[in-house]
Amino acid sequence: MLKKLTQFYYPETIEEACKYLGKKGEKTAVVAGGTSEALRQDNSIEALVDISRVKELNYIRKDSSIYRIGATTPIQDIYKCSDLKGPSGEILKYTAGKIGSTLLRNSITAGGNLAAIFPWSDLPPVYLALDAEVVLRKGKPKRTVPVENLINERPNKFLGENEIIAEIAVPVYGKGTGTSFVKFAKTANDYSMITVATRVTLKSGKIEQARIALNAVTISPVRIKDAEKILEGQKPTSDLIAEAAAKTAEKAEIRKDFRASKEYKREVLEVLVRRSLEEALEMAKK
Amino acid sequence: MAKTTKKTANKKTVPTVSVIPESPLTFEKPAKFNQVNHSLTKIDAMGLVCGQQKYVADVDFNDMLHVKVLGSPHAHAEIKSIDIAAALKVEGVVAIYTWKDVPRVPRTTAGQGFPEPSPYDTYLLDKKVRFVGDRVAIVAAETPEAANEACSKIKVQYKVLKPVFDPEKAMDKGAPVIHDEKDCRVPIPIFYDPKRNHCSHVETAVGDVKKGFKDADIVLEKKYYPHYAQHCPIEPHTCMAYLDEYDRIVLRTSTQVPFHARRITAQTLGIPVKKIRVIKPRIGGGFGTKQEVLLEDVCALVTLRTRRPCIWALTRAEEFMAARTRHPMVCTIKSGVKKDGTITAISMRIISNTGAYGSHALTVLSNCGSKVLPLYRAENIEFIGDTVYTNLPVGGAYRGYGATQAAYAMECQMDEMAEAIGMDPIKFRQKNHIKEGESSPIFKALGEGREGVDMAIGSCGLDKCITEGMKKIDWKKKYGKTGNGTKKRGIGMCCLMQGSSIPEIDMGAVFIKMNEDGSFNMLLGATDLGTGSDTVLAQIAAETLGCKLEDMMVYSSDTDMTPFDVGAYASSTTYLTGGAVITTAKKVREQIEAVAAKMLDEKPENITIENGVCYGKGKKNSVTFGQVCVFSLYEHQQFQIGAIGSHISHASPPPFSAHFAEVEVDTETGEVKLLKYVAGVDCGTAINPTLADGQTQGAVMNAISFALTEEYIFDDNGRMLNPNFGNYKIWSTKDMPEIDTFLVPTYEKTGPYGAKSVSEISINGALPAIGNAIKNAVGVRLTHPPYTAEKVLAAIKELKNDAGKAKAKPAKAAKTTKKVATKAAAAAKTSKKATAKKPAAKKAPAKKAPAKKVAAKKPAKAKAVSKKSKK
Amino acid sequence: MKLNTRINGKDYCLEINPNAMLVDVLRQAGLKSVKFGCGEGSCGCCAVMIDGKPRNSCITLAGLAEGAEILTVEGMGNPQEPHALQQAFVDSGSTQCGYCNPGSLIAAKALLDSNPNPSAEDVKDALDGNLCRCTGYVKRIDAVLSAAKAMKKSKKTSRGKK
Repeated sequence: MLKKLTQFYYPETIEEACKYLGKKGEKTAVVAGGTSEALRQDNSIEALVDISRVKELNYIRKDSSIYRIGATTPIQDIYKCSDLKGPSGEILKYTAGKIGSTLLRNSITAGGNLAAIFPWSDLPPVYLALDAEVVLRKGKPKRTVPVENLINERPNKFLGENEIIAEIAVPVYGKGTGTSFVKFAKTANDYSMITVATRVTLKSGKIEQARIALNAVTISPVRIKDAEKILEGQKPTSDLIAEAAAKTAEKAEIRKDFRASKEYKREVLEVLVRRSLEEALEMAKK
Repeated sequence: MAKTTKKTANKKTVPTVSVIPESPLTFEKPAKFNQVNHSLTKIDAMGLVCGQQKYVADVDFNDMLHVKVLGSPHAHAEIKSIDIAAALKVEGVVAIYTWKDVPRVPRTTAGQGFPEPSPYDTYLLDKKVRFVGDRVAIVAAETPEAANEACSKIKVQYKVLKPVFDPEKAMDKGAPVIHDEKDCRVPIPIFYDPKRNHCSHVETAVGDVKKGFKDADIVLEKKYYPHYAQHCPIEPHTCMAYLDEYDRIVLRTSTQVPFHARRITAQTLGIPVKKIRVIKPRIGGGFGTKQEVLLEDVCALVTLRTRRPCIWALTRAEEFMAARTRHPMVCTIKSGVKKDGTITAISMRIISNTGAYGSHALTVLSNCGSKVLPLYRAENIEFIGDTVYTNLPVGGAYRGYGATQAAYAMECQMDEMAEAIGMDPIKFRQKNHIKEGESSPIFKALGEGREGVDMAIGSCGLDKCITEGMKKIDWKKKYGKTGNGTKKRGIGMCCLMQGSSIPEIDMGAVFIKMNEDGSFNMLLGATDLGTGSDTVLAQIAAETLGCKLEDMMVYSSDTDMTPFDVGAYASSTTYLTGGAVITTAKKVREQIEAVAAKMLDEKPENITIENGVCYGKGKKNSVTFGQVCVFSLYEHQQFQIGAIGSHISHASPPPFSAHFAEVEVDTETGEVKLLKYVAGVDCGTAINPTLADGQTQGAVMNAISFALTEEYIFDDNGRMLNPNFGNYKIWSTKDMPEIDTFLVPTYEKTGPYGAKSVSEISINGALPAIGNAIKNAVGVRLTHPPYTAEKVLAAIKELKNDAGKAKAKPAKAAKTTKKVATKAAAAAKTSKKATAKKPAAKKAPAKKAPAKKVAAKKPAKAKAVSKKSKK
Repeated sequence: MKLNTRINGKDYCLEINPNAMLVDVLRQAGLKSVKFGCGEGSCGCCAVMIDGKPRNSCITLAGLAEGAEILTVEGMGNPQEPHALQQAFVDSGSTQCGYCNPGSLIAAKALLDSNPNPSAEDVKDALDGNLCRCTGYVKRIDAVLSAAKAMKKSKKTSRGKK
């Protein structure tokens, strides 16, 4: 368990943090809440860069049409944030509240939940459903990329050595959009067996945009685009939703684990996607 | 009839000598309760919430060694060689012991009375490993990290042996023999056949079961498979050892049985009992798993050999894999019932899986019968039980102790019977359950390792538990109202009984002495594992002495300082040790009265005591307890006011309980949501109602997650895949249903101030009550708990399929009896994940499914069934 | 390496292993109320307040607490002057074995610090990371609610006195 670890760095700015991360001749890793580092037991790391003191990384704010969540913002703060409203804000809050327990949510950060993706990381599929972007910083220079790219290429490969996740930028959707998050697990603070996040945006009675994102049931967070296509451009009917749900279940690559059989997961996935889409649609119609 | 008892039944008659005290059969009822039956504050509570109370690991030694035991990666293997050279080189490693370095003494880890009714089949270390996690080597090092690293560097060559996991196949010819060593044995004359993996056998019968089935209108037979579970005390097993000033070993340990721990440790290491002192400080829950001597022998060995203090705490994974579990079982119940609701016969057959060692194997098994079968009147009863060895985690004592498993089967069967004769399940139970003044032949027929004790029920509040509970769950309005839509609601209930101590086996003792401010020290052998027994026993003492609880200072569970007590198990502490407290306190009170009489120039019989003050006749004059003690210590005919007393019980009066559950079943996902849970308990007089209620609530929540989410998941090699709280799900606050618990006071005259036991009974309810509620909601009977969503959905689908098939073949469906049978067969099938069975055993579920047979007056058929299921 | 922190209002400079977990460091420093239960952040009996937030100290690297303010139940009160929550746990019978109590009390305190008027649902939500095998949680939830009331009352009376 972190046998080679000899020291911690406590930067106060992003630039400083990136400098430590880029230090030559020392294997470093970034931490904030530190839960995954504590459990991962990587024995090659020599120094940890604790970015929890970087004040410019801890915030939730709304800029015109985007919710901006700083990377070190604890999940609990998202859950309890009264400024998060509407189709985007509500699903973020609701999902945050479904992660772990209060004690864990105080340690797990928004950036950490995205950087170390586990099958049970609940927020990343929500980011996918909301078309969220992630802001990455290498000292001063920054780039903004869709969360989907980061996930698809795996964060540890996507990020440069001295690059950190600085912010998650979530588009604010207004009237006509509905969102829904479903976590299927044994107990409230169990790891998720099936995670479904959906979004439906309506325009003149038709589904303009649909998102169906999954995690836990799959190896990593993923959108089922074939199913989304079934919905887009169509008038929402229960048959159409059922068809999209069936397609999701058909296309999803179900992860094998001891929680339940693949067949069962596939069957329930279809039910949950259908329910989630119905819920999202309900919200969109309001 | 019990095979197990033949030789021990003939008790030697000990000539009565006056110095041997007789335990009273009953206790008198006072006109008014001053200290008992009041919810007084738990005496250790404030220290606990302020972090001031010390648990085992909360004291330090500078030169403490850290112990780690290497566990076996194989379920069944012989150790060919162990190379510790590399491990010894790890910096900080002080000692490593393998089977070659330690004495080989067969004994049991079960902390039971001596000689134990469990086989001597366990060794400090052995050259064979019998389950994944079994001890291979002991490491002591300066730091936990060094100990861990050394474990990883021990090179062991194993000869992997074929394991056996399926309890129903463990006794088959040709099955791998788990205990093939020559020296395993049973210390008392009971059945034991390790060569066939057959660990224990109990058989008893009353009446004529065959005739009973013949007389029945309907005979049902069904198999139930209660599952593995772990106690999950939040404090893992922890033990510390050190040498005292006299070079004796002090074991500071999280145990429920300090005196048994001392005895078994001495036995294992071949040292006299006098060399060992066991101290139980505060402990973080036990629930039965700490009725097991799992760490003490190792810690004592390390300290003896290294002459340094050491500590060993199990990791959570070790707690799951290598501590103790609830014995999983296969319970087959065949029952005959008449249409008027008369139960004509019950046959209960149990195969209990004790895992690799036979800890509590026999007694958990016999409790399946003795704590369940007496509940309902039936003239013809048969109980046949077998415990088998498998290469899986070891069974042990777990709150409920066999009653949990058998009550699940029996209470589901009760609903099945009621349904079969078209009677309301509550009316059916009310018609049949045992009542005050009645007895059951089972009490005598089934004891613990020997014959039981005959007794009549002295107190029974079950009727009120049922009627009150019905109101609280709104039974009449809700029963059978499943609602429309994809989510169906249902309610279910069950009735329960347990015992209170093991009669004429268990003993508790108490010492009380008086101080000059009128306070008392009470030294108890009894073991408070968080239950509040220190408080409850102090209340009983204060009541008897005539003082207040705050004047009682309790010190308990220290083999040097306190008198003997068997320990905290068998629902015995309040009932049994409470009796010892009354006996002792009475003696002390007599002394106080005598001194006060002298001081007040009165006759002792004229002295009355109230609130720590002794009054003369007519309350004209008085002296305080403090004055009495000062007088006795310093003034005249000085002596220490104090006494020691013991108690054994001659009965084991059952507490009774009725539990009710309301569920909502999602028919599309199989998810079961528990909406409400009601539990009413008759524990006689609740000595401390708040604490008694807390016992009920705790047991209920434990039982609920046991029923719905807790499960051991194994891979094909017998390794548990989910040995952590992340994947073995016990419930948190967010999962709670509405819980409503209540006490129904009765008065049990054999118990102290009318008390019976309370702690175990309520863990037996959720499995059947929720099972019955699910049946009520969606019509499926689940026989392989826990009731996970996957299994529920599978059962619902099978039911639908069968209904479809039945429609397709109307001729067959017309016969009601057949229809029920198919339904049952369908529900009996289960997921492959849940049990430790090999897939091969599952391939033909239709054939294997025990299938309840419904035979209207067809004894021939019933016979055939019983033959088939016999091996 | 050195760890500078403030625990229960007292400054500490502790010599620690860089990979040490906070639970071990606190226990070695004498704060024995902090318990070890699972080592994976699942049971909550190691919970302590770090800069006002309750967290699992068993999966928090001690190095992350550099400069932090830590609170354990020893700092909440003592038997002579217990915190309202400690008193409520005692009065309600919420304590059985007590092993999970320190962590639960810390989580409960964090709740009342931010929400002095919690509902039963709020309490269940705030204590969801503190497993208890003894009590079934029922009395503990009542205890937190009654402590909230008691704290409001004492606030009122102390204000009245001023």
